[in-house]
Amino acid sequence: MPNAAQEPLLSAAAIAKSFGGVQALRGVDFDVVPGEIHALLGQNGAGKSTLVKILNGVHPAGSYTGVIKLDGRPVSFASPADARSNGVGYVPQEIEVLEQLSVAENVFAGHTGLGDGFMVHQRRLQQRAGEIFADLGIGIDPRAYVASLTSAQRHLVMIARAIVMRPRVLMLDEPTASLSGTEVDALFSVLRRLKTQGVAMIYITHRLPEVLAICDRATVLRDGQVAVRIAREDFDAETFIFSMSGQRLQRLFPEHAAPVGAPTALEVRNLTVAGHSGAVHGAKDINLSVAAGEIVGLAGLLGSGRSEILHGIYGRVPAEGKIRVAGDPVAIGSPKDARAAGISLLTEDRKRDGLLFNLPVGANITIGNLAPLARRGVVRGGLERSSILAAMRALNVKASSPLASVTHLSGGNQQKLLFARVLMRAPKVLLLDEPTKGVDAATRHEIYRLVVELAEKGVALLIVASELEELIGLCDRCLVLADGRVVDEFGRGEGGEDRVLRSVAAAQAERHVRASQVSP
Amino acid sequence: MESAADVSSPPRDGQSFRRRLIGFIAIGEVGVLAAMALLIVFFWLLEPAFLSERNIRAILNVVSFVGIIAIGQTILLVAGEFDLSVGSVAGLSAVVAAKLMTAAALPVTVAILGGIGVGAAIGLLNGVIVVRLGIPAFIQTLGMLFIGQGLIQVVTGGYPVYPLPEAINAIGGADLAFGLGWSFAFFIVATVVADFVLRRTVLGRNIYATGGNQEVARLVGINTSAYKIGAFIVVGALAAIAGMFVMADLGSGGTSIGSGWELTVIAGVVVGGVSLFGGAGTVAGGVVGILMLKVVQSGLVVIGVNSNWQQIAVGVIMVMAVGLDIVRRRYFIAGA
Repeated sequence: MPNAAQEPLLSAAAIAKSFGGVQALRGVDFDVVPGEIHALLGQNGAGKSTLVKILNGVHPAGSYTGVIKLDGRPVSFASPADARSNGVGYVPQEIEVLEQLSVAENVFAGHTGLGDGFMVHQRRLQQRAGEIFADLGIGIDPRAYVASLTSAQRHLVMIARAIVMRPRVLMLDEPTASLSGTEVDALFSVLRRLKTQGVAMIYITHRLPEVLAICDRATVLRDGQVAVRIAREDFDAETFIFSMSGQRLQRLFPEHAAPVGAPTALEVRNLTVAGHSGAVHGAKDINLSVAAGEIVGLAGLLGSGRSEILHGIYGRVPAEGKIRVAGDPVAIGSPKDARAAGISLLTEDRKRDGLLFNLPVGANITIGNLAPLARRGVVRGGLERSSILAAMRALNVKASSPLASVTHLSGGNQQKLLFARVLMRAPKVLLLDEPTKGVDAATRHEIYRLVVELAEKGVALLIVASELEELIGLCDRCLVLADGRVVDEFGRGEGGEDRVLRSVAAAQAERHVRASQVSP
Repeated sequence: MESAADVSSPPRDGQSFRRRLIGFIAIGEVGVLAAMALLIVFFWLLEPAFLSERNIRAILNVVSFVGIIAIGQTILLVAGEFDLSVGSVAGLSAVVAAKLMTAAALPVTVAILGGIGVGAAIGLLNGVIVVRLGIPAFIQTLGMLFIGQGLIQVVTGGYPVYPLPEAINAIGGADLAFGLGWSFAFFIVATVVADFVLRRTVLGRNIYATGGNQEVARLVGINTSAYKIGAFIVVGALAAIAGMFVMADLGSGGTSIGSGWELTVIAGVVVGGVSLFGGAGTVAGGVVGILMLKVVQSGLVVIGVNSNWQQIAVGVIMVMAVGLDIVRRRYFIAGA
């Protein structure tokens, strides 16, 4: 336990920063002491990222007001490299790796010469990277090419890259966004080890259970100001939610009961999807059905084949098997076929396969849905605008106008925009891949309510989410996946997060036993 | 202007909405037009003969040839690909058409359709290889540039095809108005049609989506392969048409028709705000960009600048135009 009276290693006082007239930070005081994991919480747009970017030199000295002190001495970082050389490391939320290089080269990116000259010493790099991985308990071969790694493994490589510099202050921005349960545990043990070494850590997250699990102190930002500072003794999920949103959210999940005797909306028989890159399992011989108005969740670890099932049903990747929508067999060879059959998909990665950054908010909503808004192939401007405005109102998309750029929207608003896009066709079956990833707490609840509303209108929903609490709270029925197969199924109230984890562990143990029986 | 009155009058509101939507995509046109106006005044002050009827006609005539290709290149760039073989395709289509109407003695109409067919077929081949085999457009169309140049020599044996039937010379020599002929008329009509298609139609919006992010476009049910291959075919066919207009203008199937056009076309449309990375730009912008390049080239000739410096000017203008565009976009994003 860090001593509260300890001198702060890094401190910021009265930090203020504005972007083109918009005040992002209005006088924030913040500090972190050695051996402490300090949670930085707040909704999207509360100012967390701005604060971290200032502490890390992305926004250079002079572009903000206020004082930053390291070891009690004022410092002004001109760039992230400057901050790094002063012992302030940063692991960004987005994965930034050099795919064509090896893991070791990525870990030492920028200083592959290891300080003595011009040449790259591959063997020494690999050896040093191996030592660091062993120290952190990371099981990745330093010689592997990063292109072959899963996104979770890539994130661990990025963390290793920051740790290599032996930072005294380490900032982690949503480090678990792409990690599954066991990988989070591995990361936490790394962080605990760094803590014993006296590293001061700033931990940005939307996931409150992680704050409760690992953090020593929490600072909640709201509207560019510190809303509250909470010591570990006073940690409580309700308090966090209250201080982040400014209102007490009574119940986390809206009520919903599985429909009784509703017709089957989606039926999947023997669905098989090929896996890729070794670590990600495909789906093997999956059978499932979703009734109209039912919310079904797919639980499992990252790479267990959850997303692949959705992609297979939607025709995004080649798949074998039979699919029926409302009883009628449909042949799905492409997303176009799936949409024609009344199936919509909300993808996981907004930046990579969700938003069109070259088109404004409005056109992002109507893209793919223009046929009813056009006469003989010519888009009717007035009709398009009115349907965009209706969709934005219905989903509470906050943008200055339909012509605003999607780049400026917060993660939550971007996600609601994409919901507006997939809902414009009034799908019978809705596939949601991580529908609340990277959105703030308030939007998260709007999305929960939306999901339940859609179910009440008779839409069949199939949801993938990494947060088990969310999945179990929201879904009428959960299927548990391990290595591309369904290993357990339970209804609302029949199990919790522990049941999912036990089922997965049992399936993996069984596979292990079988594997050892086959090989002599 | 956002007001309650706007909402209560949907037709007008729809128009202004569309205009602003276009503004989002076409933020480059106005700047290019303003720059061009400045340049015209500059050249005119230095040498009033720049705005002589003869010089204006000469500029518009040249723009009509290259501009026809620029229309196709703009559509293809918006769809996220580009074509370096347009000059070769123009030349090859011209000499094939010339051979068909002379050596093969086919009717002129059939020969012209044959020329367009050659262009469209090469476009199809480029498109299928790029989209289905995944060979980068840069490599495929650069290869096709050389193949086309070689085929021109194979078809002609190195000699221009001459003389051509009287009907072709009549097309080339026609004076519809202001001394401008059929190529200019075709160029204007094609510009208007293509601009309308990109701005106003579902097809056009789907092309922007395809160029913006192909995977997103596919996920919303757009057949991106078909759009890209279609765009390649359009470029090929328009290059063929431009090549044949030049042939008619010259009155012979010359072996150097289209030589070097590919870079002029790309430089021009990029100056006009069409993004090399796909998903942004308009046909009007691309065409204005070409016009501006030609204004500069002609202006430098008129004021008596050495021809070597003309090339240097073209290079500088292209880099500056893209640089300004990047700065403006950054400002647009930061200032919004």
